Amino acid sequence: MLNRFAKRLKSELPHWVDQGWVTPAGAQSIEEHVADRSGGDGFLVRALAILGVLLLGSGVFTFFAANWSELAKLTKLGLLLGGLWVCYGTAGRLLARGEYQKTAHALLLLGVLLFGANVMLVAQIYHIDAHYPNGVLLWAIGGLVTAWLLPSQSALVAAIALLILWTGMESQGFGQVHLWFLPLWAVALIRLEAMQWRFAFHVAMVALMIWSAFTLLTIGDHAPWENGLHLYLVEAFTFAYLALFLTGMLMETTARLRAGASTVRRYALLALLICLYALTFPRLHQGLVGWEWVMSSIYGSAEGIYFLVVVVVLIALVLLLSLWHRRRTLSSARPPHLLWGQVLLGSMVLLMIASLFLGGRFGSLVAIAYNLFYFAGLVWLVAVGRVERDQFLINIGFGFFALVLLSRYFDTFWTQMNRSFFFMVGGVILLAGGFFLERQRRRLIAPSDESHPGGVS
Amino acid sequence: MTLRIGTILLLQTAALLVMVAMKQWTLSSGTPILLETQPVDPRSLFRGDYVRLNYAISQLSADQLGGDDDFSKHDPIFVQLQQVDLYWQPVSIHHQWPSSPGGGVVIKGEVRYARGNIAVRYGIENYFVPEGEGRALERPRAEERVDILVAVDRFGGAGIKGVLVNGELRYQEKLL
Repeated sequence: MLNRFAKRLKSELPHWVDQGWVTPAGAQSIEEHVADRSGGDGFLVRALAILGVLLLGSGVFTFFAANWSELAKLTKLGLLLGGLWVCYGTAGRLLARGEYQKTAHALLLLGVLLFGANVMLVAQIYHIDAHYPNGVLLWAIGGLVTAWLLPSQSALVAAIALLILWTGMESQGFGQVHLWFLPLWAVALIRLEAMQWRFAFHVAMVALMIWSAFTLLTIGDHAPWENGLHLYLVEAFTFAYLALFLTGMLMETTARLRAGASTVRRYALLALLICLYALTFPRLHQGLVGWEWVMSSIYGSAEGIYFLVVVVVLIALVLLLSLWHRRRTLSSARPPHLLWGQVLLGSMVLLMIASLFLGGRFGSLVAIAYNLFYFAGLVWLVAVGRVERDQFLINIGFGFFALVLLSRYFDTFWTQMNRSFFFMVGGVILLAGGFFLERQRRRLIAPSDESHPGGVS
Repeated sequence: MTLRIGTILLLQTAALLVMVAMKQWTLSSGTPILLETQPVDPRSLFRGDYVRLNYAISQLSADQLGGDDDFSKHDPIFVQLQQVDLYWQPVSIHHQWPSSPGGGVVIKGEVRYARGNIAVRYGIENYFVPEGEGRALERPRAEERVDILVAVDRFGGAGIKGVLVNGELRYQEKLL
């Protein structure tokens, strides 16, 4: 992506210099800066080394998987352990000498892959047929140990990927809510935060999102639709993602954590929008809700009360984080769009709390309210993306707008006439809102346009 | 740097050796028992280069056995076995280690599913054979009988000690 940008920039810069927008020295500095960021030869070396490692690792896997019958167990063990020792030994030697650092890091990744191959092959040689996710867990721990003791981002990324595989096997294969993922994920997080590894941080956030999706699916599989448990479940996850989003906002106010704040917010926002999208479906609001549900939970099963307590605790957490953030940013200026966002979010939270008690026969009305708030929220996201020049917000806003629009169009819950009214009223509101915003924008930027008649050089 | 690399190597090597040692401990200290195999599909008992084994004790009927009977998927299960003639047969099934195992052995497993019968996995269902030999044994003749010699340790852990074809030891597990 960056290389394409660099090429385009290189073709554009002479024209900018000719026009006097950029000085020749400035153009050279820009070219050097972009070339440096796009990687150049260093990137190629790293890419080749990692691809080589992956090929070599795959070769070792398939070679030993042939159950090498000509060799005795001792020889096989010797080869497996010897390969591991040579690999880590060479990497350590290169790192200690400060030579061929990229190759050394690729060898560390190979070491992690070889350790996994060894776990599988020792299990094969000695016919160890245990609880199979444990093999992946052991492999992941091997990767974590490597990443903790040596500065290897690729080893940590591999370990996090293995943790996802492990939690997927445990939760989807054995139908268990798999909380053991969290402490190991936290171990990885502590390391990458200390090393400021940005790519690994993205992978860790993706891992958290996947784990939460597995957890939601696992609990959802055990919850019957008719008693409204799914509504509580989705709301619990919505509040949890909202709490994560607020954590991202709090990170922004702490210098040491600021670098990862935007990443946390973006992943949390994505998950939040997915959960809120689920809440726009009327079916979710048709079950037993309110005190009727609470009473049936008390007398029916302990699970219902557990869900209620989780939702209440998460609401309290969201409030606490909001107040904490407000306290830390009291002196900061608050642009109008932020206040609008707070009003929208606050209203959505109130609707979420109310919907826990207003479903059942009012379920259809609750779903309409969710849809209206959802559309309004997406329009707000696009508007904020425009103001803040944040392409991610614009893309995500339009993406979910299209998704929810298509969903409502093909939704068979409401009659065609109801949907028709919904779209028409929504369209009129959007057109009116757009007209109002455009008028406001023109009024606001009119003086500043006059003060910038041309470009800068 | 040397210390860190050494620590990684030590920990990872130790993990691998512990895997071997634990299995070897079961094989050397466990009580040897002979289990009757029941192939799911007799045409493919030996698939490729590993053997998929289904034992007579892999399907249990709670009605005909003592102990507990309310098992769910993925529950741990302790099966008490007694020797009847040549083979070891299930006597009772339990959620926890039975208080009086008597003269038999207790093998630990995991419930695969419980619909009428209880399907159990003991971790001895796969046996890898050298490349090529699995295919040679893929279609055992009608008169051939395959039995598995299993060692069960005092915690209920099991390991395959050997494969017998018509009562003769065809494969035997060794440490090295």
